[in-house]
Order: sequence, then C-alpha cells, then structure tokens
Amino acid sequence: MKNKTKQNVVRFALTIISKDRPGIVADTTEVLYRLGCNIEDSSCTMLGGDFAIILIVSHEKPFSASVLKDAFREMHDRTGITVQLRLLHDDEITASDNGRELCVISVYGSDKPGIVYKVTRAIADMKINITDLNTRLVGTEEEPVYVLMLEAVLLPKVSLDDVSKLLEKLKKELEVEIGVRIITPVAL
Amino acid sequence: MSVQKILLYPNPNLKKIAHSVDKIDPEISELIGDLLDTMYAGPGSVGVAAPQIGVNLRICVIDVSKNRNGKDNNHGLLVMVNPEIIARSGSGIMREGCMSVPDYTGDVERATEVTVKFMDGNQEIVEIVATDFEAVAIQHEMDHLDGILFLDRIVSLKTGLFRRKSYK
Repeated sequence: MKNKTKQNVVRFALTIISKDRPGIVADTTEVLYRLGCNIEDSSCTMLGGDFAIILIVSHEKPFSASVLKDAFREMHDRTGITVQLRLLHDDEITASDNGRELCVISVYGSDKPGIVYKVTRAIADMKINITDLNTRLVGTEEEPVYVLMLEAVLLPKVSLDDVSKLLEKLKKELEVEIGVRIITPVAL
Repeated sequence: MSVQKILLYPNPNLKKIAHSVDKIDPEISELIGDLLDTMYAGPGSVGVAAPQIGVNLRICVIDVSKNRNGKDNNHGLLVMVNPEIIARSGSGIMREGCMSVPDYTGDVERATEVTVKFMDGNQEIVEIVATDFEAVAIQHEMDHLDGILFLDRIVSLKTGLFRRKSYK
C-alpha cells in the first residue's frame, strides 16, 4: 500500500452498529455526501442481527468536526442510528506492507473459550500484524464449531515455517485445526 | 522498441474488445518489442497485453520464468498473437494484482490448466498446455484482449466462505 496521506484534508473514523434494516448505509452516506465528505476506506458487514459500519472519511480543510456531529445528531433523531466519531491524526493513516509476505491463518474446531485470544496472542508475540480477521460460529446447536480466519503481514525475519511451528503447539492445546498459507498477491 | 506507459483504469481503452492481427509485419514486430520492453521494465511483471499500452490488437506477452510462482513450471517467454483457449480444466483461486489497476488486489478464480492456440512472433501457429501460475497469467493477459479486468472476476467477499446464518 502506498502512503496516501494528504496534508490538506482532515480525517475521521466513524463507526455505527445498528439493528439491521434496509437503508442504514444509504442514510449514513447521504449525510456524508451532502457535507462533501469522501469515504476513503470502509468495512461494513452483518454481525449477528446488527449491521456494523466502519468508515474512514475525509474532508478538505478547513472543516470542523462539529459540523459532522450536528449532522449525525440530526440523523439520530430522525432514524435512531447512533454514530461514533473520532478525529484521526495524520500519523494514523499510513500503511506500508510493501514487499511483505501476506498469509492467511485459518482455525476451526469445537467451540471453546479462548480460541481467538490464544491464537492472536501467539501471533502478536511474534510481532506479526493482523490486517483482517473474521470469526463465525457454525455447526449445530449441539456441536457448535468455531471458525477464525485472519490475514496477517509477516515480518521479513519471520518465515511461514516459524508461524506453522508456533501454531502447531496451539493446535494440540486447543484441539483445533490450524492452517497457514501464503496469499501474497501476484502482480500480473 | 521502447518501454511504453501502462494505461491505468479508467482509461477507456482497457474496456474495449481488441482486433485480430492478420500477419506479423514490421509494425507488429515493433509492437511486440515494445510489449517485451514494457513487461521486463515493470516491477515483478509477468505479462503485458497490447491494450494496456493503448494498442487495440489481440497480442500479449507472458514470461513467468523469473517469478517465484512460475520459475519451475513455464514455457519461458510466450508471444501470443490472436490467442484462443481451446480447453480448460481445474480451478484455483489466486489473489491477483494488475499494473492497470494499482493499489488493489482481489481473489480471482481461474482454470489451473489451459490449452492455448496462438500465432507466435514468427507467424507460426503454436499450441501449448500451460498449468498453475503460467495458466493464470495467460488467462489474466487474455482477458485484457476482451476488455476484462480482474475487477470483473473477483469471486468473493472474504466472508463468503461460510454461508451466514439467517438472523431474525
């Protein structure tokens, strides 16, 4: 990823978790559109019966956060949707995983406490950065199966073998299946 | 012969269907030279199609032999004029990136083996069976000849792997 930080814009992180219904994204983005905000990055998904929205939005300076807050307060009164807003500092925007190996780690097995914690702690202790993570409870009510999929950027010194070895221990401890594979994009 | 500028989407030339080539004349040979220079100049690039340098003809060049994904299984340099896939089998997903769509990658499903018939740079009709990464590269470059970008073929949101339960 390139560093896309522009000096002349102000950025906000915006989160919404609302009981799902059609129109949540449209209601939210209409407010942004009318105020002239750009959506620079986003992740929106159903979580349980709720719809979760995370947006990074920008606006050319000068722009006051209070304008956004007022607009979202008005939207809340009208639609019931609550928006959390946070001003981002420029040094929060940069991302650089250029030339690094990208891997996907998949974990699944009978549901039990600590799967997410123990896997992510092990990864964090190796200074591996998670870029994406999803979990899902599947299977039947009698035999729930937990599935964790995450993508992570490997440090230059860390090999796929190192990660596999580390997770092999966890596999026995948690009695789950753990797979690691490289998914570094191919340039065509 | 020289390195040409790679067109970036939304340049409309990338969405056109390219025309067939009748014969390899000096002009076409020069174009092939440009494609090769451009491919070898691109960082880690393993292929370029003529529409990517603004020429609406059915020509692409591919060389995966220097790439770690293709170095053990390839036909070396392939110059493909009017390529046609006459058989395909298997299926695999790879995360693809494209010089014409910078800063974005996506998971694309492709055949893992393709039989391709094409005219080479010497005007000979050739038929090859390519597999794995080389097969993916061929399909990606040939898509450019039909105005198709990998963005048109992205198969899934990551979360599509497991079907969601319906919540009431």
